[in-house]
Amino acid sequence: MTSAELVPSVPAASRVWRRNLRVFSKVWKGALLPQFFDPLFYLLALGFGLGTYLATINGIPYKQFVGAGLMSSAVMWAASFETTWNIFFKMEETRLYDSVLATPVEVQDLVLAEVAWAATRAVIYGTTFTLIVAIFGLVDSPWAVLTPLFLALGGACFGMLGLTFTSLIRTMDWYSFYYTLFITPLFLFSGIFYPLDRLPDWVHVVAWFTPLYHLVEITRGLVLGPDALSVLGNALWLVVVTSVLFVIPVSALRRRLVA
Amino acid sequence: MSAVSAHGLVKRYGEILAVDGIDFEVPAGVCFGFLGPNGAGKTTTMKMIYGLAEVDAGELSVLGLDVRRKRREVKARIGVVPQEQNLDRELTVRENLYVQALYHGLPADGRIDELLDFTLLAGRADGKPAELSGGMKRRLLIARALVNRPELVVLDEPTTGLDPQARLAVWGLLDRLRSEGVTLLVTTHYMEEAERICDRLVIMDEGRIVTEGAPRDLLERFGEPNLEGVFLRITGHGLRE
Repeated sequence: MTSAELVPSVPAASRVWRRNLRVFSKVWKGALLPQFFDPLFYLLALGFGLGTYLATINGIPYKQFVGAGLMSSAVMWAASFETTWNIFFKMEETRLYDSVLATPVEVQDLVLAEVAWAATRAVIYGTTFTLIVAIFGLVDSPWAVLTPLFLALGGACFGMLGLTFTSLIRTMDWYSFYYTLFITPLFLFSGIFYPLDRLPDWVHVVAWFTPLYHLVEITRGLVLGPDALSVLGNALWLVVVTSVLFVIPVSALRRRLVA
Repeated sequence: MSAVSAHGLVKRYGEILAVDGIDFEVPAGVCFGFLGPNGAGKTTTMKMIYGLAEVDAGELSVLGLDVRRKRREVKARIGVVPQEQNLDRELTVRENLYVQALYHGLPADGRIDELLDFTLLAGRADGKPAELSGGMKRRLLIARALVNRPELVVLDEPTTGLDPQARLAVWGLLDRLRSEGVTLLVTTHYMEEAERICDRLVIMDEGRIVTEGAPRDLLERFGEPNLEGVFLRITGHGLRE
């Protein structure tokens, strides 16, 4: 693959992004609204339910602890849906990409566009949930206004991971592995519901290699009063992983769509 | 200058040699046909022209540009009507044309209404592709291919599966395009279609070009009353599947 086949055109990518925005603006009320409720129910059940019995964690009210973590998982779920089922459908079912690639849009533009769109959708969901958390009075720090920026970064990372997986699988059946063995475990074991502090060292090592852990560290930091260096360190992790992965879906999708 | 020029063009899919070193020249402004049985390599050749298949060997230039090095530029100046219907199902008829202009980086000006009129779809502009008949979908694919005012339009089996009226409507559109000087590249396995619309054609079989010429010349050369006879004479009467 030459560099001309790897470096995306931002204008071309932004056009594909605008197509997605147009579709989203039509369908969000019907198909996508229910997804807004997921993190809210977790917040009510665990934060306000279980939280009644578990007053604080590391000095933080439990509902506040969970609320800050769930902002990150809202982003993970939204971005993952976008670049798994939705992309597979556009690629293999409606053959939409064949028509897009017959215009001046190239594969690398498509990858950038879809990841940017996944991040956008993740920000829409994550920020809505952040506002709900704020309305419940669970936000302490003014730094929380920066959350959407970092949610976008987390969304891009999960969008890229989902697209990487999608670009490599042949049938949709593989998504059950992706969700059951990757996304769901991240949801449960990334420090959203309990801190990893007192768990054995190897748990920290494993967690460090997973994206949700870093995103949870960021959102919790921003909502409770940040350690700027730690937020930037975790953000850097997400930037590096997202950028490094880029080449995989570009080359896999090129083999698949421009055979 | 030729609209399309190919020399020793090769495409392999694993063990299968889909296109086996073909040469052809498509003069600007004509309707040029690619005939051949299923699997002859027609669609693969079209895909190499419009950038959805990589060229494995040989040379291929479209509108004077090397497709391997100038893919974006080539795609900006051509239109594509694919064999498979791949309209954007989540958008209306009008929006399908709007996003096509968007992908090309062009303003969505009066061109869209002009094309809706041209393809007789103005009354369906706000419907979804799923609500269209087969003939309307094909006309919308043609309208979509024309959004960027292409100099060359590649049509892969533009009338397959259409009823006679719908097919006539497509032929009418192609006639008008050709009269405007647009080069048309059409694949088909309907012999009467090739006789009706093509100025020149090649017949492909098993990845090679087996004959070429103007339809009338081919009839004379092979002493057959119609292209069907020429086609069967060259590609054989047997079923090959």
